[in-house]
Amino acid sequence: MAIRELKVCLLGDTGVGKSSIVCRFVQDHFDHNISPTIGASFLTKTVPCGNELHKFLIWDTAGQERFHSLAPMYYRGSAAAVIVYDITKLDSFQTLKKWVKELKEHGPEDIVVAIAGNKNDLGDIREVPMKEAKEFAESIAAIFIETSARNAVNVEELFQKISKQIPPLENPEVDSNESFKLTRQPPPSTRRCC
Amino acid sequence: MLFITIFTVLQYTDLFIFKYPHFLYLIHQPRQDPPPAHPQTPELRAPLSSPANLGPAEPSALAPPVTIEAFCDQVQPQPQTPSSSSGVPKLCGYLQKQGGPLKAWKQRWFTYEEKKSQLFYYRTPQDVTPLGRVELGSATFTYPLKAENGTFHIQTPERTFILKAVSQQVMLYWLQQLQLKRWQHRVQQSAGSPGCSDSTNNNNNSNAPGENQPLPNTSDFQLTGYFKSCSSLLLQELVWLLHKALEAAQLEKRTCGEFLAAKGEQERLELLRHRERQAADLRSRLEEVKTEAEALRRSLAQRDAQLSELQENLRMMMEKNQAKQEVIVKLSDQVTACMSDPLHSLSSPSNGLDSQTFKQLQQEIENLKDDIEAYKTQNKFLNSEIYQLTKLWRKSSEQEKSLMVKCAYLEASNCQVESRYLGVLRKLQESKALEAGEREAVKKLIEDALRGELKSVAKLTPHRDHDEYGFKIIPDYEVEDMKLLAKIQALEIRSHNLLHQEAGDRPLLGRWAQYLAGRSGDDLCASPELKSLIRAGVPQEYRQQVWRWVVRARTHSIKDHHPQRYTQLCEKSRTSPHPASRQIQLDLHRTLTTNQRFSSPSSPALQQLRRILLAFSWHNPAIGYCQGLNRLAAIALLVLQSEEDAFWCLVTVVEAIMPLDYYTKNLVASQADQRVLKEFMAEKLPRLAAHFEEHSIDVSLITFNWFLVVFVESLPSNILLRLWDAFLYEGTKVIFRYALALFKYKEEDILKIHDSVEIYQYLRFFTKTVSDGRKLTSIAFNDMNPFPGRLLRNRRAVHLERLQGELRELEEQQKEFVTESAERKDKELDTMVSEDDEEL
Repeated sequence: MAIRELKVCLLGDTGVGKSSIVCRFVQDHFDHNISPTIGASFLTKTVPCGNELHKFLIWDTAGQERFHSLAPMYYRGSAAAVIVYDITKLDSFQTLKKWVKELKEHGPEDIVVAIAGNKNDLGDIREVPMKEAKEFAESIAAIFIETSARNAVNVEELFQKISKQIPPLENPEVDSNESFKLTRQPPPSTRRCC
Repeated sequence: MLFITIFTVLQYTDLFIFKYPHFLYLIHQPRQDPPPAHPQTPELRAPLSSPANLGPAEPSALAPPVTIEAFCDQVQPQPQTPSSSSGVPKLCGYLQKQGGPLKAWKQRWFTYEEKKSQLFYYRTPQDVTPLGRVELGSATFTYPLKAENGTFHIQTPERTFILKAVSQQVMLYWLQQLQLKRWQHRVQQSAGSPGCSDSTNNNNNSNAPGENQPLPNTSDFQLTGYFKSCSSLLLQELVWLLHKALEAAQLEKRTCGEFLAAKGEQERLELLRHRERQAADLRSRLEEVKTEAEALRRSLAQRDAQLSELQENLRMMMEKNQAKQEVIVKLSDQVTACMSDPLHSLSSPSNGLDSQTFKQLQQEIENLKDDIEAYKTQNKFLNSEIYQLTKLWRKSSEQEKSLMVKCAYLEASNCQVESRYLGVLRKLQESKALEAGEREAVKKLIEDALRGELKSVAKLTPHRDHDEYGFKIIPDYEVEDMKLLAKIQALEIRSHNLLHQEAGDRPLLGRWAQYLAGRSGDDLCASPELKSLIRAGVPQEYRQQVWRWVVRARTHSIKDHHPQRYTQLCEKSRTSPHPASRQIQLDLHRTLTTNQRFSSPSSPALQQLRRILLAFSWHNPAIGYCQGLNRLAAIALLVLQSEEDAFWCLVTVVEAIMPLDYYTKNLVASQADQRVLKEFMAEKLPRLAAHFEEHSIDVSLITFNWFLVVFVESLPSNILLRLWDAFLYEGTKVIFRYALALFKYKEEDILKIHDSVEIYQYLRFFTKTVSDGRKLTSIAFNDMNPFPGRLLRNRRAVHLERLQGELRELEEQQKEFVTESAERKDKELDTMVSEDDEEL
């Protein structure tokens, strides 16, 4: 089975649960008080997808706005970006829109964007209606899913959806027994700062 | 005390004085004997005091001051006091006088002169001019106890006369008499000074030579004496006055005669005028005399005052003396009592004790002696027992210690063996040459090993899981796919700790104790010695003290200006919410979650942390709050224990140590530092830099947060705090040194990995697997030398400038893009609208 390495970065406002989603996905574990990410953290998880194995190289980034300037380091060369918001916080949805804009401007051209409305388990204090978010996602042709890292809802599905969106390899010349890297070079652009 | 003042009571019953040509004798004789006169010496006045009078004389000498005052009162009203010489026998005799530079004894004739209370001395009694005189009015008399018998001293303000009488008795007589004379003189002086000069004439007249009159001893006697002399004086005065009146009458008569004899009116007038002039002259003289008298009266009043003062002094002295005498009497009583006591004690037991009780007591003594003997033997035995037991105890404790060491060593080697075993299993797991069955077996073995982890950890660390600061001693490895590796690392750390626990820390502690001895925590001063000590790590016992000092040293200027700064900031953050407070609240419960002190949501440390961060956001509005500051503050709080100190520690790190703009918007300075680090890596670790280059590894993705939070949550706590010790003292250079040292420490391991993902994965957690902190420190501060601060500063400046240039460029491009896309969107919208229109 061929292993494809897919670089994925998680973006989104602070405290929406980016690290929790990663933690749930990679370790199937939930911690209420997971340390805020400084800079970024790196985790991997391999999942089967069709006749391929997708090895997600997940870069989990810091949410606070002043760390935004570092984000290009992480989304550069990414196959997918998961933008997370907190359904109980309208602000985080606004931040999400900013991220979408930034990715559009500076991100890789064919990057798969997934929008994850986290904290789905706190539906009773919801501030962002699912419909609105869904419509927004459709408007930008992004994957949309509401998740709950705490209750392990839709986290696997989120990454499966991403896997499915990744276009299959055009030239499967590589030996199927060997792993290979996704040699996605950053677009020749001068727009990056790092 | 060598001298005793001569107020002691003399206990002689009979004192007679004989005057011989050369000696003054004092003879003990029966009372009845009359005083024999010496035929050859007509000036003899003997006896000076009769035995009958001597008795009452004693109480007079010792009379309380009250009596003396009463005496004075009686005497004062007398207009004319008799001269002291009237009817009093003269005090005179031979005495030896010490004098001259050789202090030789010379015989002299001493005579007491009452008028001025002076003691004159002559070579012989026949001499007219005295050799000298002793003023007795202000003299004191003493006699030394240890000198020759009969020696006594007369001390005047000017000099001391050392005199010697033939015997002790004669000396005492002299002294007693001198005292008496002095006292009499004083009394007379106070009573009779005004009339003294006037009555000199009369006194001379009334002198009755050869009168054998006893000394005036009591006031009654004195008074009768005075009355007697007064009546004779009055008589004389009368005669004198009459004489004068007669004289005046005669004069008048003569004048009248002259007047009458004068011829003619003119002459008479002349005579009358002459008389008048005489009268005026006399009147003016009278006036003069009056003023003189007035002056004299004034001086008299002054003298009176002085005298009463002196009397008061005398009275006090007498009182004191009385008290002293009483004490002496009491003491001498005691002495006699003491002297007689031994006799009593000697005599009483022989009397009071019968043979029965005596025997009993003896028996008892025997028994006690026996007991003592027994106890002695027992004591000896017990001593040897204690000695032996101590020896045994020491031996066994030594054994125990060596066994402990052995045990630790075995445990360590066991850990190593286990980690090696796990390493082998890991290799086997990855090896592809295994058949399915074998693979299955390996998998099972690994599972067993991992399951055994809990048990073995519990068994291996029976003492404690957390260190003094509440950190887990063996950090968690949350990486699922690295569990095996993590276990191996844990075992290595464990074995390392076991082997080095004792060896390294003790001498360091000693060095610190030595350094801090005699220094208070506040007056440490920067020195190369302190620097090297801090680099080796501050022992937990002194860490708080040292950090506090560093923080104070780095913030004292601002703190001196605003001593109440922290309280004010806290107050402000209570009253007005800071925009950063939401983020702070969000991060509060996500701070050092693995630490015991922060893990509980109700922990007071969290509230302290919140206050510190809020205060800081007001203190430094340019930064406000940046994620990561919570970790810095938490570490400060853990070590310093005090909220305010921790706040200032945070200020120290952010404002005094870190470069400007490290935590502000865009974190430019932090990003610049990552580029500086890459540059240093290329220099210090060229192989590794090339390796990373080859696998397109961007270390800044990993190292960024090392710098931003100064390795908090990246290193095991013991190494982290050691790093912080040096970081607080020396500054950011320490972060670079340690960052490079970490790569160096694991350089070989990293070079073995040839897959970029694996390298990232390894880099993500390898810092927590560093077990040998001492080795790491040594790499940081030795292998990374030279590390000039100037180079670091220059590189920082270069990269910061470059980065800021890039940021500006980016912003411009963004603007361009925005305007461009806006134009494009407009067109798209146009076409869409038109298409819609067509469809419609």
